[in-house]
Amino acid sequence: MKKSVVIIEDEPFIIEALTFLLENEGLDVRSISDGAKAIDFIVKSKPNLVILDIMLPNVSGMKILEDIRKMNEISHLPVLMLTAKGQKKDRRAAEEAGVSKFMTKPFDNQELIEHVKLMIKS
Amino acid sequence: MVGALLGTRIRENRKALKLTQKDLAKIAGISASYLNLIEHNRRGIAGKTLNTIARALSVEPSELSDGMNQSLIDRLKSAAIRNKQINTESNRIEEFAARFPGFARLIARQSDQIDIRDEEFTILSDQLKHDPYFAEAMHLLLSNITTIRSTADILAGNSNIPTKTSKRFIDNLAEEALKLSNTAEDIFDYFEPTSEKQVTNLDLSPFELLLEKNSYYLKDLENSKQTLNEVLSSLNLSDEDYLKTKNSLNAYIEMAKNLPINLFLDVAVKHNYDAIALAKHFNTDILSICFRLAHLPKRSDIPEFGIIQCDASGSVLYRKQLNSFSLPRYGGACPLWPVYRSLSQPLQPIRAMLDMPMGDRFHTISFAYPTEAAQIGMPALTEAVMLFTPDYLMLPKISHTQTPQLAVGLQCTVCSRLECSARRATYLLEDK
Repeated sequence: MKKSVVIIEDEPFIIEALTFLLENEGLDVRSISDGAKAIDFIVKSKPNLVILDIMLPNVSGMKILEDIRKMNEISHLPVLMLTAKGQKKDRRAAEEAGVSKFMTKPFDNQELIEHVKLMIKS
Repeated sequence: MVGALLGTRIRENRKALKLTQKDLAKIAGISASYLNLIEHNRRGIAGKTLNTIARALSVEPSELSDGMNQSLIDRLKSAAIRNKQINTESNRIEEFAARFPGFARLIARQSDQIDIRDEEFTILSDQLKHDPYFAEAMHLLLSNITTIRSTADILAGNSNIPTKTSKRFIDNLAEEALKLSNTAEDIFDYFEPTSEKQVTNLDLSPFELLLEKNSYYLKDLENSKQTLNEVLSSLNLSDEDYLKTKNSLNAYIEMAKNLPINLFLDVAVKHNYDAIALAKHFNTDILSICFRLAHLPKRSDIPEFGIIQCDASGSVLYRKQLNSFSLPRYGGACPLWPVYRSLSQPLQPIRAMLDMPMGDRFHTISFAYPTEAAQIGMPALTEAVMLFTPDYLMLPKISHTQTPQLAVGLQCTVCSRLECSARRATYLLEDK
């Protein structure tokens, strides 16, 4: 059975690029841009990994991460945060909230794929 | 001795104007031989003769006399200190000023102008850090660049992409490149000196400027190393500003007296900087605690707090903005901020986490309070404050995990929440 990834991101072209890259690696990719519906979407999709942006309409990615860690059903999921907010304090806040990997935009495609593969394996 | 150089200064000024001793002596109503003695520093002069000679030489008498000229000497010294890498003959500054008064004045004036430019540069640089439009534009640029880089890498690195997919990616690239160029044009337009979008922050009051310069903590005033009058006289204020600044400084001193910094910090650490717990501990009102928290030393182990105080119309009375949270000077903020809600619930503190469109998060406490006793037939006058910090991890954990999260913005013009029902102005960076 294919491993799956949920992308929570509001930039459609970034979603498209990420989807192409990850599908090329044999992964099943689903995405959502509305942060307010993200938790329900993750619960229903039961992915192996979540890729999460911080700057989202309606709800901050940081809040979504906190909610993921609070819900028993999905709290174990690895979360890769992919964000333009790369300051030390953002990184610290993400670590405190339980992020698995923090990457800043713009990102290197190959580096992203390698991290995704590693995170899904573990 | 500077005094001994008065004659030298007269001689150099006279020569610069190509006047003979005889000409100048005649204008001053003294003999040429007496002027000769004066110019060789063998006779002193003052009063009417000094004034007449100064007028004839088109300089201020103070530039020829000793005391006032000290200011020119001091300015030259400060110019020399600023450029330490140039080995100036600093032990001969007085002689230089006396022999070449015109050049001395030129150097002093240029040095003053550099000081003024430096100050303006600092203010403009601070303004840029606080500028929400610029921050939002930078975010958009990063987002455009991310898409372009990732998509271009896919096209360059995958020779077997189906034609349809490849065409779509090329279209995405073209669209994103257009957005990038529009954003760049917007930024360029914004920094045009006549831009209507730009809101200046340069109209700060002298008290606000003093606080900004000292990171909102007046250490010497708190430790009694400086008196109120010393601070006031260092500010060079107009009569109008003097009283206002004095009142503001008195309020600051009062705050520091009621909640002394060392004691306050000891207790604040124990209570994780929780405003409500601190108000209980010190048996004081939340307002005083909010102001104290917004005026703490800037250190990495102390959370950084900003504050906004407004009246019932939303007009800003006082503000301390942070680099990540800019505050408008004259209203125009996001109407969803809890500080405005608190106006309808006086004396009831509201705790909320604010989620900004750019992903920044702030813990806030808002609190409204009546400013005077109620009068029959008159509306109660109410003011409100909102204390905010991005360092919510340093506060009690419950304060950010179990408080309502509000999706808000800074101002409509820089807020990308296009569907927001509270929107009253167009988002300036919206896709064209």
